[in-house]
Amino acid sequence: MITWLRTRIDSFLGQGDAAVTVPPMDGALSPNTRLDRADLIAQIPTPNDLAQGDATYVSSGNTVYRLNPAGAPEPFRHFAEPVTSLAAHGDQLAVGQPQHILLIHGSTQTTVPVQCPTALAFMGDTLIATQGSSTNAPAQWKHDLMQRGSSGAVWQVTPGSPPKPLATGLAWPNGIAITPDGIVIVESWRHRLIRLGQPNAVLADLPGYPARLSPAQNGWWLCIFAPRGQLVEFVLRERRYCTRMMAEIDPDNWLAPALSPPKSFLEPMMGGALRTHGFVKPWAPSNSYGLLVRLDARFRPVRSYHSRADGTRHGITAAVDLGTHVLVASHGGNAILSLEGDLP
Amino acid sequence: MTEPLVRLTKVTKEYFGVPAIRAVDFTVLAGEVHALVGENGAGKSTLTKVMVGITAPTSGTIAVDGTTVNLRSPADALSLGLAMVFQETSLVPSMTVAQNLYLGQEHFFTRLRGMYIAAQQFLQSLNFNVDPMTPVAGLGAAQKQMVEIARAVLRKARLIIFDEPTAALTPEEKHYFFALIDRLKTSGVAVVFISHAIEEALQIADRITVLRDGEIVTTDAASSFDRASVIRAMVGRTLSDELYTRKDGQTRPPQDLVLSVQNLSMGSMVRNTSFSVYAGQVTGIFGLIGSGRTETAKVVAGVLKRNLFHGGKVSLFARAVRYRMPRQAMLDGVVYVTEDRKIEGFFEGMSIAENIFAGYLTARGPRIVSPTQMRDLASTWRDKLNIRAIDPGARVVELSGGNQQKVVVAKSLVQRPKLVIFDEPTRGVDVGAIAEIHTIIKGLADDGLAVMVISSYLPEVLNLSDRILVARQGRIVEEFAPHDATEETIMYAAVH
Repeated sequence: MITWLRTRIDSFLGQGDAAVTVPPMDGALSPNTRLDRADLIAQIPTPNDLAQGDATYVSSGNTVYRLNPAGAPEPFRHFAEPVTSLAAHGDQLAVGQPQHILLIHGSTQTTVPVQCPTALAFMGDTLIATQGSSTNAPAQWKHDLMQRGSSGAVWQVTPGSPPKPLATGLAWPNGIAITPDGIVIVESWRHRLIRLGQPNAVLADLPGYPARLSPAQNGWWLCIFAPRGQLVEFVLRERRYCTRMMAEIDPDNWLAPALSPPKSFLEPMMGGALRTHGFVKPWAPSNSYGLLVRLDARFRPVRSYHSRADGTRHGITAAVDLGTHVLVASHGGNAILSLEGDLP
Repeated sequence: MTEPLVRLTKVTKEYFGVPAIRAVDFTVLAGEVHALVGENGAGKSTLTKVMVGITAPTSGTIAVDGTTVNLRSPADALSLGLAMVFQETSLVPSMTVAQNLYLGQEHFFTRLRGMYIAAQQFLQSLNFNVDPMTPVAGLGAAQKQMVEIARAVLRKARLIIFDEPTAALTPEEKHYFFALIDRLKTSGVAVVFISHAIEEALQIADRITVLRDGEIVTTDAASSFDRASVIRAMVGRTLSDELYTRKDGQTRPPQDLVLSVQNLSMGSMVRNTSFSVYAGQVTGIFGLIGSGRTETAKVVAGVLKRNLFHGGKVSLFARAVRYRMPRQAMLDGVVYVTEDRKIEGFFEGMSIAENIFAGYLTARGPRIVSPTQMRDLASTWRDKLNIRAIDPGARVVELSGGNQQKVVVAKSLVQRPKLVIFDEPTRGVDVGAIAEIHTIIKGLADDGLAVMVISSYLPEVLNLSDRILVARQGRIVEEFAPHDATEETIMYAAVH
């Protein structure tokens, strides 16, 4: 009863859970243009995930590319369905597809029945997979967000055994970090990182929608694939509006986070909020953004790399640390970037 | 040679046998602007209080126009044309400007209308834009000061002494104030002003007297001084570099996120502002008066309330909080060290120990007060923060500004806070105490506390901060790393 009353009061006053607020990008998350200044390694359409095993792999659409020693992508495998996630361990490769996961080891290929795999990580010979949603396909991530979905799960895939669920009821789990203290999972729609089996988040209230985690020296790289905005936060509270928007409007024109900057005048947020005298304001509350965050070993942000509203390298979905440099996939910028000389 | 307006000869004033000023020889010439500078406790206030009859000297003589006088009260001094404008105005807040001007000069039947007309004409003659019918409580700091000055001029003052006249003024108000000083000077009124702002003394004074430990170190034409030489005379060493230069060039890395302010709004003063504060760092906030920095800090600390509807969100250690009174914030480890210590910072009639213990009680809740515990606690904090007082049982009002500020800091730190918000921590504080307060602030961050410092003084922000946030028109508009920032870039962000 008290909870119900508090919810109503919060909703009326716009406070508590009903506060339509967005955490600031300051401190270690202060805006800069480092992603826009990063070296362009390759221009490929909508790169989705990166993986480092015996070689470095990039997924884009239905194709997995392998980067040659010069860093240029060479087609490695082509699939009938889109590749939604990647992981590599030595010569093993795990490829996520909308309906299943393919485990490829030399010429051997095994199919694991886990739907909507959004992120994969090897823990020894075991594969850990996040299932974004049990009802929506990976390409329907906007639908899942607008439905306030929380049907995601984490699966453990051991060779020769059926997949075992490690956690359920997650809001679009989208990244995995294997640590000595356990498995850390990214929950995109709740803007946080959680350690499985522990009640408190290891990092919460992020100013964007987090995506994949990848190991770095003494820390982690966290990709933020889209920013949070007050308008979208407000829309997400308005359930009837969301329902009608999903029923009547093309998803590309929804008031929702996006992976790439606006291309059409039909898209929302094209007015004065974004542009002044024809120029996109770098501080505009855009629906897409480029943000890569370096976390320390305790998952605290220490440095960040941005492509602001007026930049082009938006929708950072994956990063892989190669020691001397870091490769970054910009889905919205159709680019593989290299960060070097500017690393912590 | 013209006889000085006021001449003090071998004046000594002792409190409890301890001399506050010792054998001071001091002169004020008619129509001059004379700056009195010195560390807190140097004896500036005592010297001026002796000149206007607030305290009687223990020994020595005072001569006005060459005649030795015995000033038994401020009224005696005023009858000779000697007046003082205090840092905290002596106006009656509930009375109008005109009533305050003529306070003590009323006739048995005073026509209010006549008084207002006279006050209006008089204020206009001084070019003061103050409505005589406004209650003083509704005036800003600068306007209150104008009324104080007008009252002194109305009483035919030939010498007006100002105690820290610019401490509460905005840059624009300071400009007007300096113009007023010029006008007073032109009309033959002598002005003595106590200031910790050395640049102001150098800018507007004809002569500067430097006091140290109750003695005059030097008196000379202002043109013969520069900032470094004034400071050297004040403290006996060059503090300028120590105060406002980062020695290590290093900034502290952020630790855990302590405070997250998201889209906070409070009336027209705070408008959709967002920022974070991390443990182990000093987060400096610079902004001009009216930029909403103080109000934001006060909302965080529960002193003010944010908008009831859609007022934003404040999270402390990832927990949303909404304080309706400061004690709730204190219990959560948030303390606010006010910019207005005399009104909000301490109980002026209580001793150092009682003030510090009041902070302790706030954090611990009501309990039986043990005098021994109170004394021990005070002794610990006096040693920790180097609070200097002639008498350990002295009331806080009797302490110098720097030591008063340290009492306020001790009263806050005794609550074992996790987030300390300093608002203008060195306002009205001498250079020696500034160095000590800066050391205290840095020490808190080194100990892992989250520290916010709000300051209007750019060198202070640059020296102390690990991150510099700039507030403008009710929101945080820019963030700088100290090594990337200059005074120019910060000021540009604050005004554009």
